[in-house]
Amino acid sequence: MSADSEKNANPSAGKGHIFLGTGSDAPIEPAPEQLARVYRLNDPALLELPLDSLLDELLVRVKEILEVDTVAILLIDEEGEMLIARAAKGLEEEVELGVRIPIGGGFAGRIAAERMPIFIGDVDLADVLNPLLREKGIRSMLGVPLVAEAELLGVLHVGTLTPRTFTNDDAAMLQLAAGQVAPAIQRAALFEALETEHRRAVALQRSLLPERVPEIVGVPVAARYFPARDEVGGDWYDVIELAQGRVAIAIGDVVGHGVRAAALMGQLRTALRAYALEDYSPGQALERLDRLLQSIRGRGMATAAHATFDPDNGKLHFASAGHPPPLVIAPGEEPRLIETAPAAPLGALPYSTYTDDEITLAEGEIFVLYTDGLVEVRGEAIDAGFERLIETVRGAATPEQACRQLVRELVPREGAADDIAFVALQREPVTDKLLLRLPASPSVLVQVRRALRRWLRAYDVASEKVDFITLACGEACANAIEHAYSPATAFFELEAKASNGTFTFAVRDLGQWRPPRGENRGRGLTIMESVMDGVDVNSTSNGTEVLMRMGAPA
Amino acid sequence: MRLADVRVEQRNRVVVASVEGEIDLSNADELGTSLATQMTNDALGLAIDLSGVRYMDSAGIQVVYELRERLRNRGQKLRLVVPADCLVARTLELVNASETLGIVDTADAAVAALGSSEGVAQ
Repeated sequence: MSADSEKNANPSAGKGHIFLGTGSDAPIEPAPEQLARVYRLNDPALLELPLDSLLDELLVRVKEILEVDTVAILLIDEEGEMLIARAAKGLEEEVELGVRIPIGGGFAGRIAAERMPIFIGDVDLADVLNPLLREKGIRSMLGVPLVAEAELLGVLHVGTLTPRTFTNDDAAMLQLAAGQVAPAIQRAALFEALETEHRRAVALQRSLLPERVPEIVGVPVAARYFPARDEVGGDWYDVIELAQGRVAIAIGDVVGHGVRAAALMGQLRTALRAYALEDYSPGQALERLDRLLQSIRGRGMATAAHATFDPDNGKLHFASAGHPPPLVIAPGEEPRLIETAPAAPLGALPYSTYTDDEITLAEGEIFVLYTDGLVEVRGEAIDAGFERLIETVRGAATPEQACRQLVRELVPREGAADDIAFVALQREPVTDKLLLRLPASPSVLVQVRRALRRWLRAYDVASEKVDFITLACGEACANAIEHAYSPATAFFELEAKASNGTFTFAVRDLGQWRPPRGENRGRGLTIMESVMDGVDVNSTSNGTEVLMRMGAPA
Repeated sequence: MRLADVRVEQRNRVVVASVEGEIDLSNADELGTSLATQMTNDALGLAIDLSGVRYMDSAGIQVVYELRERLRNRGQKLRLVVPADCLVARTLELVNASETLGIVDTADAAVAALGSSEGVAQ
């Protein structure tokens, strides 16, 4: 239909295609008064502008020079199927409404499909797909394709509200404008695509990893992540606080790089976290994660290891999906790799099963999970990587120390070829003095209780007595938290000591002891006094110390 | 991890709130607020079932007292369900709260004590 109507509508141009070819063969012989116009379109200063400003400025100039009522640029979408309005003058709604024209359809679509300029002298409504052009009452139109390095980028077109026959010069001028803007669009699009991909990948990666490792009283944990030199990858780690004071750690490595790997990593990390919080064992959780990965469209593969730790008895359950073996650092011993049941990576085989292994961490032992980036060096046998790993962590007394040693020795300053993640937790050694120094926030109270119970049980204190001592110390700590000068920054401490069957507890804050307010605080003090064999409150200008004793005075 | 969870049901015009977990300074206030907002006007009373509570400190006790006061002003009553010999029962005894707070040892007993006569008959 459009071909016929176009023919009728364009008496001066025969088939409706205009006088010019697609580009360089177009003869441009500017008359003297044209020179200024040419210069305005060829202005090198335009190329310094960012893309949006360049388009804006160029359209203003085109509109003035060609004395038209509308001018618009439509760019081809990523799939190469649609033209999307990107910038316009006199037709701004086109951009605001995000007008989309299929390639091959309508005026602009035909210019794109045929890569030829088209002139319509008297617009027949049938010619135009875009309702805005009809509403505007545009009578004559001229459009040229935007081409750079033989790649079609879009369409530039102008229009007038009164009938007009565009001349060769007009068309040449429009081609000049198109030629000016096309390389800039191409460059910007390429740059944008690369920039955006990388920026998105980095931002995504960051947002998908834990913001920081939680501080868990009595369970020292540390972790690190290092992106690969050139690309973001799919490594992740996680530390998850479970019910009853148990702690889970996880590590994983999605095969591949870039946004896709990072996005999949995020899904897997979140899913594993959810399974862990639902109290599935590590093996059960990995099995579910595998089934989930199988169901994801365009799925990938990943190795992962996952462990849950109960600080009350040192029991650690773990399972591995094709992941490098965990490492245990025992005080005064050679660090050792833990053998795991062989199992396929997640997403690799249907119906993979993952079994739980159980070990008991002795006091002071550190359990480390890591990704292969830490041990694999291209062109080197994997055993050499493991030996170096064991060598590096020898003598580490805390997870944080182990992480520092790994960073110093095994993470290249300039970035590694593969990304690297590791996470470590420790069964804290029990000593005859327990010292907790914590932020004055009510949320730490539960952790104080757990650490204190654990410490008391190590001395075989009867469970009823453990409960009461915990209650009394909890009251003293709650007091310290409430009295903290500035809750945001203040700390308080609990120091528990055992000596010849007598336990002493000191709770210190940096605030003033206030006489019990109302019955509530009164009850706290009552609890302390009825539970303990002795309670003293020492208040100085620097703070308050509550001293409690269970057992005979030392 | 949440320190405590609450499940609420209505039985014979009595709101029964079963708490599980631990109650301390960090969650006592919000727990009290949450329970107060669950109280409908036509409820005769509130039974707080603490059978599943492993730990409650003086901040928790304070909130129970405040709730009781609030309900009293609306003509509603409060009962605590606390099994004998658990840590919460012993904690309440330490501060002489067992008698003043009206403790029973099962939710059924609390509903019977607070509920309408039809409810008791059932």
